[in-house]
Amino acid sequence: MAGGERIPGTPRYRHHLETNPGTEPFFPNFLLKEWIVGSVFLLAFMLWVVFNPVDLGDRANPDDTSFIPVPDWYFLFLYQILKYYPGSDIVVGTVLVPMVASLLLVFAPWLDTSKARHPFQRPLATSAMMLTTLLTIWLTNEAAVQHKAELDAASGKASAGLPVLPKIPASQIHLVNTNMPGYKLFEQTCANCHGKSGEGGLGPPIYAIGKYWNASQLKSFVNNPSGMMPKNGTLSSDTEVQQVVDWLSQQKG
Amino acid sequence: MGTVLKKAYDWIDERLNVTPLWRDMADHEVPAHVNPAIKMSAFVYCFGGLTFLVITTQILSGMFLAMYYTPDITNAWFSVRYITDEVLLGNVVRGMHFWGASLVIVMMFLHMLRVFFTGAYKAPRELNWVVGVLIFFVVLAFGFTGYLLPWDQKAYWATAVGSQIAGSIPWIGPYIQTLLVGSHTVGALTLTRFFAIHVFFLPAALLVLLALHFIMIRAQHIAGPL
Repeated sequence: MAGGERIPGTPRYRHHLETNPGTEPFFPNFLLKEWIVGSVFLLAFMLWVVFNPVDLGDRANPDDTSFIPVPDWYFLFLYQILKYYPGSDIVVGTVLVPMVASLLLVFAPWLDTSKARHPFQRPLATSAMMLTTLLTIWLTNEAAVQHKAELDAASGKASAGLPVLPKIPASQIHLVNTNMPGYKLFEQTCANCHGKSGEGGLGPPIYAIGKYWNASQLKSFVNNPSGMMPKNGTLSSDTEVQQVVDWLSQQKG
Repeated sequence: MGTVLKKAYDWIDERLNVTPLWRDMADHEVPAHVNPAIKMSAFVYCFGGLTFLVITTQILSGMFLAMYYTPDITNAWFSVRYITDEVLLGNVVRGMHFWGASLVIVMMFLHMLRVFFTGAYKAPRELNWVVGVLIFFVVLAFGFTGYLLPWDQKAYWATAVGSQIAGSIPWIGPYIQTLLVGSHTVGALTLTRFFAIHVFFLPAALLVLLALHFIMIRAQHIAGPL
């Protein structure tokens, strides 16, 4: 223990004359200071609460499957990890990563067994924790950004001017002329946001966009897209864009 | 008045000998390196106490919310709307509980980082670290169960997806899902059991763990200066 016990019988007002002047009794001396910190903290908290009223969303409706679900912000990093392990790899995101992380956290004292306590004297533990913290913050932010993009896409904001197609399951979509070169390019680039079958994901659904727009309308949109979509949809040349829109314009649902 | 109180205290003390109980806590020395009044940078040692403070306000605001909240699917959303719009200061109490939930997470995370970076979890304090991590998990469970209670769209669908994720775990997933949801889909049974978990099971677990956490700090003292 840092500091010794208070010598019995020493009055509190003479306490600072003792050999160990840095220490002080928990009650009332130290607790008073903690209360000051606590009061300032509580005041700030109450001001925040009063100026940020909580609203209540629409009543739960189990039939409305169009609602885009999202967990509370402190679960977003876990939610984001799931997105990196789609399909049968999902078990990596649901079990493996959380399990390993939890075990590392619980057993940290037995993994970092050196006597040294200063963070600079145990660089492995310190950098591991800093990396984990940064990664968690980044994952949380990434999930929030993607959720916002999804909301925008659903409300039509990201696709200003783009015809809105209803969201349907990928299994009900039948793409045609998949032997065209445009389809290969679509799979490699566009599909990352619009889905493998154009069913929509981060970007809006475009599986039957040819019903509404011809190749030149599509090309002018891809050259100068609105919302989140990158210019030319990350395709490297105008020839590639032309190939993709030629194929897309034949998708009429 | 003072003498009456003193007599009452002495009367109790003679029979139950309560003085040593609180004097032990009152007189224990708090070392200088954790005292922000001596060294400003010691404010990082306040995170744990502040987490406990927010948990206390969570318990209090939760008790008041429970006076009006109705845990059934027909009335839950209306009772929360009533708290928000009609009850005197209801929106403030609900706001405290809502924002406090996030604040507990933030403060607890900061407290954990402080303990980690100062190496305070090293021998002989390993067990207290483990208890702290368990508290972290219990608080996350509080967040997960509490999120459903307002029974609005985002609550419902977050829980629906959360339980589906739990259900996708190999072998035991379906059992976990049934345990959580109470049936095959989120509904009446889910709300009542999330409510019970949120206001009975988890508080019991949290209070036991917090008691252990504090008893261990008193037994082992705060880790010395770096």
